[in-house]
Amino acid sequence: MMKVHARVFRFDPEEDEKPHYQNYVVEVNEGARVLHVLQAIHDEIDPTLAFRYCCGAGQCGSCAVRINGEPGLACMEEARDGMTVEPLDLPIKKDLVVDLQPFLATLPRICPRGEPEVPDREKVELLKPLRSCIECVCCVSVCPAMDVASFDGPTAMRQELRLALDPRDKGGDRVREAVSHGLFTCTSCQACWKVCPKDIEIPGKAIEKLRALANREGLTLPRHQEVARLVRETGRSIVRTGPTFLEDAPEVIEPDGPVKATVGFFVGCMYNGRLPQTARDAMEVLKRNGIRVIIPREQVCCGSPLIRTGQVDFLDTLKKRNIDAFVFRKIDTVLTMCAGCGSTLKNDYRTPFRVMDINEVLTKFGIEPPARLPVKATYHDPCHLLRGQGIRDQPRELITQVVELVEMPSICCGSGGGVRSGMPEVAAALAENRRKEIEKTGAEIVVSSCPFCEFHISEHTDRPVRNVTSILLEGYREKDRKKAKGTVSS
Amino acid sequence: MYVYDAPYNKMRSAEVMDCHVLVIGSGGAGVRAAIEASGYGKTILLSKTLAGKGGCTPMAEGGYNAVLREQDSCEIHYGDTMKGGSYLNDPELVRILVAEAPERMEDLLRWGAVFDVTDCCEVAQRPFGGQSFPRTCYAGDRTGHEMMVTLIERLASTDVKVISEVTVLDLVVESGRVVGALGLDGKGNIVAVRADATVLATGGGTQIYDISTNSSSGTGDGFAIGYRAGAELIDMEMVQFHPTGAVYPYDARGRLITEAVRGEGGVLKNALGERFMEKYDPVKKELSTRDVVSRAIATEILEGRGTAHGGVYLDVTHLPRQQIEERLPVMLEQFLKFGVDIREEPMEVAPTAHHIMGGLRISPHGETTLPGLYACGEVTGGVHGANRLGGNALADTQVFGKRAGESAGRAPRRDVRIGEKAIEAQEERLSLFLGGEVPPSTVVRSLRTAMWEGAGIFRTARDLEKTLGVIAHLSSLPLLARTRENLGECCTVQNMLLTATLVVRGALLRKESRGAHTRRDVVQAWDAQTSPYGHTYQSLTRSGIETVVRE
Ligand SMILES: Cc1cc2nc3c(=O)[nH]c(=O)nc-3n(C[C@H](O)[C@H](O)[C@H](O)COP(=O)(O)OP(=O)(O)OC[C@H]3O[C@@H](n4cnc5c(N)ncnc54)[C@H](O)[C@@H]3O)c2cc1C
Ligand code: SF4
Ligand code: SF4
Ligand code: FES
Repeated sequence: MMKVHARVFRFDPEEDEKPHYQNYVVEVNEGARVLHVLQAIHDEIDPTLAFRYCCGAGQCGSCAVRINGEPGLACMEEARDGMTVEPLDLPIKKDLVVDLQPFLATLPRICPRGEPEVPDREKVELLKPLRSCIECVCCVSVCPAMDVASFDGPTAMRQELRLALDPRDKGGDRVREAVSHGLFTCTSCQACWKVCPKDIEIPGKAIEKLRALANREGLTLPRHQEVARLVRETGRSIVRTGPTFLEDAPEVIEPDGPVKATVGFFVGCMYNGRLPQTARDAMEVLKRNGIRVIIPREQVCCGSPLIRTGQVDFLDTLKKRNIDAFVFRKIDTVLTMCAGCGSTLKNDYRTPFRVMDINEVLTKFGIEPPARLPVKATYHDPCHLLRGQGIRDQPRELITQVVELVEMPSICCGSGGGVRSGMPEVAAALAENRRKEIEKTGAEIVVSSCPFCEFHISEHTDRPVRNVTSILLEGYREKDRKKAKGTVSS
Repeated sequence: MYVYDAPYNKMRSAEVMDCHVLVIGSGGAGVRAAIEASGYGKTILLSKTLAGKGGCTPMAEGGYNAVLREQDSCEIHYGDTMKGGSYLNDPELVRILVAEAPERMEDLLRWGAVFDVTDCCEVAQRPFGGQSFPRTCYAGDRTGHEMMVTLIERLASTDVKVISEVTVLDLVVESGRVVGALGLDGKGNIVAVRADATVLATGGGTQIYDISTNSSSGTGDGFAIGYRAGAELIDMEMVQFHPTGAVYPYDARGRLITEAVRGEGGVLKNALGERFMEKYDPVKKELSTRDVVSRAIATEILEGRGTAHGGVYLDVTHLPRQQIEERLPVMLEQFLKFGVDIREEPMEVAPTAHHIMGGLRISPHGETTLPGLYACGEVTGGVHGANRLGGNALADTQVFGKRAGESAGRAPRRDVRIGEKAIEAQEERLSLFLGGEVPPSTVVRSLRTAMWEGAGIFRTARDLEKTLGVIAHLSSLPLLARTRENLGECCTVQNMLLTATLVVRGALLRKESRGAHTRRDVVQAWDAQTSPYGHTYQSLTRSGIETVVRE
């Protein structure tokens, strides 16, 4: 038996003015799930605690709650001492029980043609993953786009694709329906996928697929078509407005000291065309830390802006050009500093080389300690870094060496998925939510590690938004200054 | 909606909900019945849980039996089912099951179900225990869930009024006929529904055992509700113990490891590494019927060849990883969550109470012995005899769900009302709980242990009598509801106690070993086919065991 302390959200809308938390201590068996702790509380301490469950085996989707803030199934998640259990972020009926009915009622349903036909194997294989949804609504409770736009949400989109693919449905044009229900408001933040107990990859396997179908029907947003045209014509997703990083960059950058590693640098359109100075900052930091960098000129857009918006016909050409550029130079590790490019190379490509984000490279090979700057910073997790590449601790490890870090919740800033270009008002509304959280921290600067986030957030906050490597560089410069003044002994 | 407002005692009987057909339960059987009934008139469906999420249907993993291929036939499916059920099955019900299972499968496909298919675009089938032909259709290992989502989608296109999270307490009987039901909503208010015909589809009840596969709603409510109203139940002693339930983590013990694991080639080994099924059934081995495999595992464990966690090994590590990932994704996912990668290590399993074969006696049209009451699904008896074959229950829900829904739909309209007396009596019963003393969870814990120990896989008259005594004692305790919201729990516990009583009394009535029912204290000179006994039966007015005259 083991003792578990749990802090549980309590609220009866009919009785209480506002919610409160109650602490409980119960004994459960080794390996107990969150559900078993709730049951023990209900059975042994407080029978008025309301929670919902049914199958106890992760199959019915009745029991979703937030455990230490993360949505999950109470019957499957292991109970941890000191955990906080709260309801999903949805209208509360009582305590941990939320009202699922109104949401479930809006899910699109099949209109059967009436023939007992069986879809062919290929179709079935496409449909199966979409069918495993247990309608637990975890994804809905975390989707940022649903908060600010008229969007039916991730699992509704999953269902739209299932209907669009099923030959037995005669419910009309499901793709058009999906578009009108907010298909283009999704920012590809992947929050839905990461909380899905059935691991349904909604952004990649439903939303992007629907967008590709929409593309075939000519429903792609004009701004997205514009981007696709640019990529096709120039190899880049943004218009050249000044000298680019690649135009000025040397073919190879040798490090100052001994070589710890050699990497090929995949620049990406944003750092190349819009924020070349940030990329140059990064090169300085790498140089100072023993990383030899090779920069193939002929690299092009990774294709992310096309994949996210469902315009995939030109993709293979891009992939081939990029892969060839690095393979030709016998590069075995490709470094990305754009979270979007990194996630795309890692997840949408099959590369013969390893892809590492700059935060991974710097923490793996270690950095020279910079001077500390007297600045309070907060860090914005780029969706494509945190969820797309599972990189959470590395940037923090770097940032805390140079400034004081105040955490804020990881929420999407609104720039991804083509939303910034295609649905600017949605992107702005999401950025507004981001701004509020930034403000709450009292930080003087915002640090991030993705050009899209940096660019977008900087337009919506009065604080400076800096790249991780830029502040590291500032730390080095400060160190050098102090050294020059003789205030630092080596 | 009729709301009984106790403190003010306002009777607003005009607000009793009214319908032609009332369906109780939102599992596969209930929803199928409601879909069918909706074609005949206003239909209301009451469900204790969120509709479609409760019950055992969405948990069913392995599959749905239907004859689909030329090499197979209904005759063979009939033979397998009768043999698997130790010939206690009602032959007419079995004939209907095997004949209509394929048609009901077609309904599901028509409504959008996504079953696995072969390369030739036929519904794929796999072998299950006790079959002479691999006839179990499946959607990975989430077949029941696939059926349930399909049915719920179809239900959404009817005008059935679905009322979720209302626990039905009792049927209302006026002059010997069921005229509707009373339930409790989440706040503890009484809800009354009047109906021309009522379909009971509340599923099974193995939650009365310490180790069980059933969902939280598998508390036997329907058996108890039907019995109290006067319906007759048969073969309640026939409780199937599934051979392979999880043993770890302890608080989730009993969780089903689907038979599909063995269907796909999984082997059972004891702690010594011996493939022991070769001893108990050299021909079918792991794919013998469930009663045989369960007794084999229980024997291995009892004789000291079990694992540290008190189980035996079920091993699929010799199968290709891809086969495990594609055919058994739910198993893989669940075990990974519990820290075991079944591609690399064996699972540990032990028998778990799974299915109640007995239940309300029905006619081929789903009529119970009580006028106005129909039943379908696991709450009924007779289809599966003394042991259910894997894959036959899902088929049962569809075949008899449709039949019961149709019969209820065809029932004549009647001009009766729910009398105020019935509601008052119910309210009186409930008010006792508010002044009770014993928390329901305490009673449940004792009941489950007593049933597991005294009415489990191996039984004797002595143990059964003792268990009956324990149940009688537990039933006499004054259950406590702290608030009105806890009233439902007390009613559920009473249903569990009554269901357990019926199981134990049935087990005492049947003085033979047959199918899932093993009486260690009886020596018999017959086998299943030559048994002198038929169904056990129990109702408010009579109980006994039928005898069969054989030429
Ligand atoms: C884990 C597991 C796996 C299984 N796998 C298979 C398989 O692979 N193949 C197969 O053929 N069979 C399988 N079975 C058996 C099969 O799933 C069930 O027998 C069948 O689904 C029962 O269906 P049902 O509609 O009768 O009841 P259920 O699906 O159990 O539904 C009962 C419904 O009644 C409601 N209810 C209960 N009490 C009340 C009340 N008092 N008031 C209102 N509503 C109430 C519940 O909320 C629920 O909605 C499995 C069973 C389990 C537990
Ligand atoms: S990817 Fe993000 S925005 Fe898109 S549906 Fe999922 S949670 Fe919502
Ligand atoms: S997609 Fe996943 S998270 Fe969303 S409702 Fe379905 S199972 Fe739950
Ligand atoms: S109780 Fe069914 S998913 Fe948790």
